Amino acid sequence: MSRLDGWFEGVTRESARRLSRRSWIARLGAVLVGSAAVPLLPVARAAERAASPDGIAGPEGDPSRCEYWRHCAIDGFLCTCCGGSHTACPPGTEMSPVTWIGTCRNPKDGKDYIISYNDCCGKTICGRCLCNRNEGERPLYHWYRNNDINWCGGAKLQTYSCSTALVVKVAKEPQPEK
Amino acid sequence: MKSLIAALVFSLAASSVSADAFEEHDFILNCAGCHQVSGSGSATVPSLHNMAELVSKSGARAYFIRVPGVAHAPLSSERLAALMNWVLRRFTGKAPTLRYTAKEVSELRKSPFLDPFAARAVVVGSD
Repeated sequence: MSRLDGWFEGVTRESARRLSRRSWIARLGAVLVGSAAVPLLPVARAAERAASPDGIAGPEGDPSRCEYWRHCAIDGFLCTCCGGSHTACPPGTEMSPVTWIGTCRNPKDGKDYIISYNDCCGKTICGRCLCNRNEGERPLYHWYRNNDINWCGGAKLQTYSCSTALVVKVAKEPQPEK
Repeated sequence: MKSLIAALVFSLAASSVSADAFEEHDFILNCAGCHQVSGSGSATVPSLHNMAELVSKSGARAYFIRVPGVAHAPLSSERLAALMNWVLRRFTGKAPTLRYTAKEVSELRKSPFLDPFAARAVVVGSD
Protein backbone atom coordinates (compact mmCIF):
# COMPACT_ATOMS: atom_id res chain seq x y z
CA MET A 1 0.00 0.00 0.00
CA SER A 2 2.79 2.36 0.87
CA ARG A 3 4.34 1.67 -2.56
CA LEU A 4 1.15 2.76 -4.25
CA ASP A 5 1.04 5.87 -2.05
CA GLY A 6 4.61 6.61 -2.93
CA TRP A 7 4.03 6.17 -6.67
CA PHE A 8 0.93 8.35 -6.66
CA GLU A 9 2.72 11.06 -4.64
CA GLY A 10 5.56 11.00 -7.14
CA VAL A 11 3.25 11.35 -10.12
CA THR A 12 1.32 14.20 -8.46
CA ARG A 13 4.45 16.13 -7.48
CA GLU A 14 5.97 15.65 -10.94
CA SER A 15 2.85 16.90 -12.73
CA ALA A 16 2.53 19.84 -10.32
CA ARG A 17 6.12 20.85 -11.18
CA ARG A 18 5.64 20.54 -14.99
CA LEU A 19 2.03 21.58 -15.68
CA SER A 20 0.27 24.85 -14.97
CA ARG A 21 -3.06 24.53 -13.20
CA ARG A 22 -4.97 25.65 -16.29
CA SER A 23 -3.09 23.65 -18.89
CA TRP A 24 -6.12 21.32 -19.33
CA ILE A 25 -8.07 24.29 -20.76
CA ALA A 26 -5.44 24.70 -23.48
CA ARG A 27 -5.55 20.97 -24.26
CA LEU A 28 -9.35 20.87 -24.32
CA GLY A 29 -9.33 23.86 -26.69
CA ALA A 30 -6.86 22.12 -28.99
CA VAL A 31 -9.01 18.98 -29.08
CA LEU A 32 -12.19 20.97 -29.88
CA VAL A 33 -10.61 23.04 -32.66
CA GLY A 34 -8.72 20.03 -34.00
CA SER A 35 -11.80 17.79 -34.24
CA ALA A 36 -13.77 20.60 -35.93
CA ALA A 37 -10.99 20.99 -38.50
CA VAL A 38 -10.86 17.31 -39.51
CA PRO A 39 -13.66 17.58 -42.13
CA LEU A 40 -11.77 20.49 -43.75
CA LEU A 41 -8.83 18.25 -44.58
CA PRO A 42 -8.56 17.34 -48.27
CA VAL A 43 -8.58 13.65 -47.41
CA ALA A 44 -12.08 13.87 -45.88
CA ARG A 45 -13.45 15.86 -48.82
CA ALA A 46 -12.07 13.39 -51.33
CA ALA A 47 -13.82 10.54 -49.50
CA GLU A 48 -17.19 12.35 -49.73
CA ARG A 49 -16.85 12.92 -53.45
CA ALA A 50 -15.98 9.31 -54.04
CA ALA A 51 -19.25 8.24 -52.39
CA SER A 52 -21.59 10.52 -54.33
CA PRO A 53 -21.78 9.15 -57.92
CA ASP A 54 -24.87 7.19 -56.94
CA GLY A 55 -26.62 10.50 -56.24
CA ILE A 56 -27.79 9.41 -52.82
CA ALA A 57 -24.77 9.94 -50.55
CA GLY A 58 -25.14 12.36 -47.67
CA PRO A 59 -28.26 13.04 -45.67
CA GLU A 60 -30.12 14.67 -48.58
CA GLY A 61 -28.44 13.10 -51.60
CA ASP A 62 -27.96 15.05 -54.81
CA PRO A 63 -31.32 16.10 -56.34
CA SER A 64 -29.59 17.29 -59.51
CA ARG A 65 -28.76 13.69 -60.44
CA CYS A 66 -31.08 11.21 -62.12
CA GLU A 67 -29.94 8.53 -59.64
CA TYR A 68 -31.32 10.52 -56.68
CA TRP A 69 -33.76 8.27 -54.79
CA ARG A 70 -36.83 10.48 -55.27
CA HIS A 71 -36.50 10.18 -59.06
CA CYS A 72 -37.27 6.43 -59.07
CA ALA A 73 -40.33 6.75 -61.33
CA ILE A 74 -39.63 10.01 -63.15
CA ASP A 75 -39.79 10.48 -66.91
CA GLY A 76 -38.76 13.96 -67.96
CA PHE A 77 -36.31 16.82 -67.52
CA LEU A 78 -35.15 17.59 -63.97
CA CYS A 79 -36.25 21.10 -62.98
CA THR A 80 -33.00 21.42 -60.98
CA CYS A 81 -31.21 21.78 -64.34
CA CYS A 82 -33.83 24.14 -65.77
CA GLY A 83 -33.75 27.11 -63.38
CA GLY A 84 -35.93 25.54 -60.68
CA SER A 85 -35.26 22.81 -58.10
CA HIS A 86 -36.58 19.32 -57.31
CA THR A 87 -39.41 21.00 -55.34
CA ALA A 88 -39.98 24.28 -57.22
CA CYS A 89 -40.78 25.20 -60.81
CA PRO A 90 -38.52 27.50 -62.87
CA PRO A 91 -39.67 31.14 -63.05
CA GLY A 92 -42.38 31.68 -65.64
CA THR A 93 -43.80 28.16 -65.41
CA GLU A 94 -46.83 26.88 -63.51
CA MET A 95 -46.89 23.69 -61.43
CA SER A 96 -49.59 21.38 -62.74
CA PRO A 97 -52.17 20.48 -60.07
CA VAL A 98 -52.75 17.13 -61.80
CA THR A 99 -49.86 14.79 -61.17
CA TRP A 100 -48.45 11.28 -61.36
CA ILE A 101 -47.95 9.78 -57.88
CA GLY A 102 -45.88 6.77 -56.87
CA THR A 103 -43.59 5.55 -54.10
CA CYS A 104 -39.79 5.52 -53.84
CA ARG A 105 -37.56 4.01 -51.15
CA ASN A 106 -35.12 6.32 -49.40
CA PRO A 107 -31.92 4.27 -49.03
CA LYS A 108 -30.86 6.34 -46.02
CA ASP A 109 -33.69 5.26 -43.70
CA GLY A 110 -35.05 2.30 -45.74
CA LYS A 111 -38.59 3.77 -45.73
CA ASP A 112 -40.93 4.17 -48.71
CA TYR A 113 -42.23 7.64 -49.41
CA ILE A 114 -45.16 8.81 -51.55
CA ILE A 115 -43.69 11.01 -54.28
CA SER A 116 -45.69 13.41 -56.44
CA TYR A 117 -44.10 14.19 -59.82
CA ASN A 118 -45.65 17.59 -60.49
CA ASP A 119 -44.82 18.83 -63.97
CA CYS A 120 -43.92 22.46 -64.60
CA CYS A 121 -45.84 23.87 -67.54
CA GLY A 122 -46.18 26.93 -69.73
CA LYS A 123 -42.70 27.37 -71.21
CA THR A 124 -41.00 25.42 -73.94
CA ILE A 125 -39.45 22.01 -73.19
CA CYS A 126 -36.33 22.39 -71.01
CA GLY A 127 -34.19 19.74 -72.73
CA ARG A 128 -31.55 19.42 -69.98
CA CYS A 129 -30.97 16.49 -67.58
CA LEU A 130 -33.35 13.96 -69.15
CA CYS A 131 -34.15 11.32 -66.53
CA ASN A 132 -36.20 8.30 -67.54
CA ARG A 133 -36.36 5.64 -64.80
CA ASN A 134 -40.03 4.61 -64.80
CA GLU A 135 -39.90 2.17 -61.84
CA GLY A 136 -43.48 1.07 -61.12
CA GLU A 137 -44.87 2.65 -64.27
CA ARG A 138 -47.78 0.85 -65.97
CA PRO A 139 -48.93 0.78 -69.61
CA LEU A 140 -51.15 3.54 -70.98
CA TYR A 141 -54.40 1.67 -70.22
CA HIS A 142 -53.54 2.24 -66.54
CA TRP A 143 -53.37 5.94 -67.27
CA TYR A 144 -53.07 7.02 -63.62
CA ARG A 145 -49.79 5.06 -63.37
CA ASN A 146 -48.47 6.01 -66.79
CA ASN A 147 -46.06 8.88 -67.14
CA ASP A 148 -45.93 9.15 -70.93
CA ILE A 149 -49.12 11.18 -70.94
CA ASN A 150 -48.85 14.94 -70.55
CA TRP A 151 -49.58 15.72 -66.90
CA CYS A 152 -49.73 19.43 -67.83
CA GLY A 153 -53.38 18.75 -68.73
CA GLY A 154 -54.52 20.43 -65.50
CA ALA A 155 -52.44 23.59 -65.95
CA LYS A 156 -53.42 26.80 -67.79
CA LEU A 157 -50.93 26.11 -70.60
CA GLN A 158 -50.28 22.52 -71.59
CA THR A 159 -46.68 22.95 -72.78
CA TYR A 160 -44.43 20.64 -70.74
CA SER A 161 -41.19 22.16 -69.44
CA CYS A 162 -39.70 19.95 -66.65
CA SER A 163 -40.59 17.73 -63.66
CA THR A 164 -40.28 18.07 -59.88
CA ALA A 165 -40.35 15.30 -57.24
CA LEU A 166 -42.22 16.29 -54.07
CA VAL A 167 -42.44 14.10 -50.96
CA VAL A 168 -46.12 13.91 -49.92
CA LYS A 169 -45.68 11.70 -46.85
CA VAL A 170 -44.31 8.37 -45.62
CA ALA A 171 -45.96 5.44 -47.45
CA LYS A 172 -47.56 2.54 -45.58
CA GLU A 173 -46.19 0.13 -48.18
CA PRO A 174 -44.45 0.32 -51.56
CA GLN A 175 -46.92 0.72 -54.41
CA PRO A 176 -48.28 -2.69 -55.46
CA GLU A 177 -46.86 -2.47 -58.99
CA LYS A 178 -43.29 -2.60 -57.69
CA MET B 1 -54.23 -4.37 -14.01
CA LYS B 2 -52.52 -7.15 -15.95
CA SER B 3 -55.65 -7.87 -17.95
CA LEU B 4 -56.03 -4.13 -18.68
CA ILE B 5 -52.49 -3.95 -20.08
CA ALA B 6 -53.08 -7.13 -22.08
CA ALA B 7 -56.28 -5.62 -23.53
CA LEU B 8 -54.44 -2.41 -24.42
CA VAL B 9 -51.61 -4.26 -26.13
CA PHE B 10 -54.11 -6.43 -28.03
CA SER B 11 -56.15 -3.44 -29.24
CA LEU B 12 -52.98 -1.66 -30.37
CA ALA B 13 -51.83 -4.72 -32.31
CA ALA B 14 -55.29 -5.17 -33.83
CA SER B 15 -55.52 -1.54 -34.97
CA SER B 16 -52.13 -1.64 -36.65
CA VAL B 17 -53.04 -4.54 -38.94
CA SER B 18 -56.58 -3.50 -39.94
CA ALA B 19 -57.31 -2.21 -43.43
CA ASP B 20 -58.25 1.16 -41.93
CA ALA B 21 -54.59 2.00 -41.62
CA PHE B 22 -54.30 2.24 -45.41
CA GLU B 23 -57.15 4.62 -46.14
CA GLU B 24 -55.22 7.87 -46.36
CA HIS B 25 -52.27 6.11 -48.04
CA ASP B 26 -54.58 4.62 -50.69
CA PHE B 27 -56.32 7.97 -51.16
CA ILE B 28 -53.06 9.83 -51.84
CA LEU B 29 -51.66 7.13 -54.12
CA ASN B 30 -54.82 6.41 -56.13
CA CYS B 31 -57.05 9.52 -56.00
CA ALA B 32 -54.99 12.59 -55.07
CA GLY B 33 -52.94 12.67 -58.27
CA CYS B 34 -55.94 14.14 -60.12
CA HIS B 35 -58.41 15.15 -57.38
CA GLN B 36 -55.56 16.65 -55.30
CA VAL B 37 -54.89 15.89 -51.63
CA SER B 38 -57.46 18.54 -50.68
CA GLY B 39 -60.04 16.84 -52.94
CA SER B 40 -60.79 20.13 -54.68
CA GLY B 41 -59.94 18.86 -58.19
CA SER B 42 -59.03 21.24 -61.02
CA ALA B 43 -60.48 22.81 -64.15
CA THR B 44 -60.72 19.36 -65.74
CA VAL B 45 -61.20 17.12 -62.66
CA PRO B 46 -64.40 17.19 -60.54
CA SER B 47 -64.15 18.25 -56.90
CA LEU B 48 -64.80 15.48 -54.35
CA HIS B 49 -66.61 18.03 -52.18
CA ASN B 50 -69.48 17.70 -54.70
CA MET B 51 -70.18 14.28 -53.14
CA ALA B 52 -72.05 16.07 -50.35
CA GLU B 53 -74.87 17.15 -52.69
CA LEU B 54 -75.19 13.64 -54.20
CA VAL B 55 -74.91 11.43 -51.13
CA SER B 56 -78.59 11.56 -50.14
CA LYS B 57 -79.81 10.65 -53.68
CA SER B 58 -81.05 7.13 -54.26
CA GLY B 59 -78.57 6.18 -57.00
CA ALA B 60 -75.52 7.73 -55.34
CA ARG B 61 -74.35 4.66 -53.48
CA ALA B 62 -73.82 2.61 -56.65
CA TYR B 63 -72.66 5.66 -58.64
CA PHE B 64 -69.71 6.35 -56.31
CA ILE B 65 -68.33 2.85 -56.92
CA ARG B 66 -69.13 2.60 -60.66
CA VAL B 67 -67.33 5.82 -61.73
CA PRO B 68 -64.31 4.61 -63.74
CA GLY B 69 -61.61 5.99 -61.38
CA VAL B 70 -63.05 4.03 -58.46
CA ALA B 71 -64.10 0.85 -60.31
CA HIS B 72 -60.69 0.52 -62.03
CA ALA B 73 -58.56 1.49 -59.01
CA PRO B 74 -55.73 -1.04 -58.56
CA LEU B 75 -56.96 -2.03 -55.08
CA SER B 76 -58.62 -5.12 -53.62
CA SER B 77 -62.34 -4.76 -52.94
CA GLU B 78 -61.61 -4.87 -49.18
CA ARG B 79 -59.23 -1.93 -49.39
CA LEU B 80 -61.50 -0.10 -51.87
CA ALA B 81 -64.52 -0.46 -49.56
CA ALA B 82 -62.53 0.89 -46.60
CA LEU B 83 -61.18 3.73 -48.76
CA MET B 84 -64.65 4.74 -50.01
CA ASN B 85 -66.09 4.74 -46.46
CA TRP B 86 -63.21 7.04 -45.52
CA VAL B 87 -63.70 9.27 -48.58
CA LEU B 88 -67.44 9.62 -47.87
CA ARG B 89 -66.79 10.56 -44.25
CA ARG B 90 -64.16 13.09 -45.24
CA PHE B 91 -65.96 14.83 -48.11
CA THR B 92 -69.59 14.68 -46.99
CA GLY B 93 -68.86 15.51 -43.37
CA LYS B 94 -70.37 12.33 -41.87
CA ALA B 95 -69.70 8.61 -42.02
CA PRO B 96 -72.10 6.60 -44.22
CA THR B 97 -74.90 5.08 -42.13
CA LEU B 98 -74.51 1.84 -44.06
CA ARG B 99 -70.83 1.17 -44.71
CA TYR B 100 -69.65 -0.28 -48.03
CA THR B 101 -68.62 -3.92 -47.74
CA ALA B 102 -66.04 -5.71 -49.89
CA LYS B 103 -68.77 -7.94 -51.36
CA GLU B 104 -70.94 -5.00 -52.40
CA VAL B 105 -67.97 -3.14 -53.91
CA SER B 106 -66.76 -6.18 -55.84
CA GLU B 107 -70.22 -6.56 -57.43
CA LEU B 108 -70.66 -2.87 -58.31
CA ARG B 109 -67.17 -2.38 -59.77
CA LYS B 110 -67.84 -5.11 -62.35
CA SER B 111 -69.96 -2.63 -64.36
CA PRO B 112 -68.11 0.69 -64.56
CA PHE B 113 -69.89 3.59 -66.31
CA LEU B 114 -69.00 4.21 -69.94
CA ASP B 115 -70.34 7.76 -69.62
CA PRO B 116 -69.97 8.89 -65.98
CA PHE B 117 -71.27 12.41 -66.72
CA ALA B 118 -74.56 11.07 -68.08
CA ALA B 119 -74.79 8.70 -65.08
CA ARG B 120 -74.23 11.64 -62.75
CA ALA B 121 -77.09 13.58 -64.36
CA VAL B 122 -79.39 10.60 -63.70
CA VAL B 123 -78.34 10.53 -60.01
CA VAL B 124 -78.83 14.31 -59.64
CA GLY B 125 -82.32 13.96 -61.17
CA SER B 126 -83.33 11.13 -58.79
CA ASP B 127 -84.64 11.69 -55.27
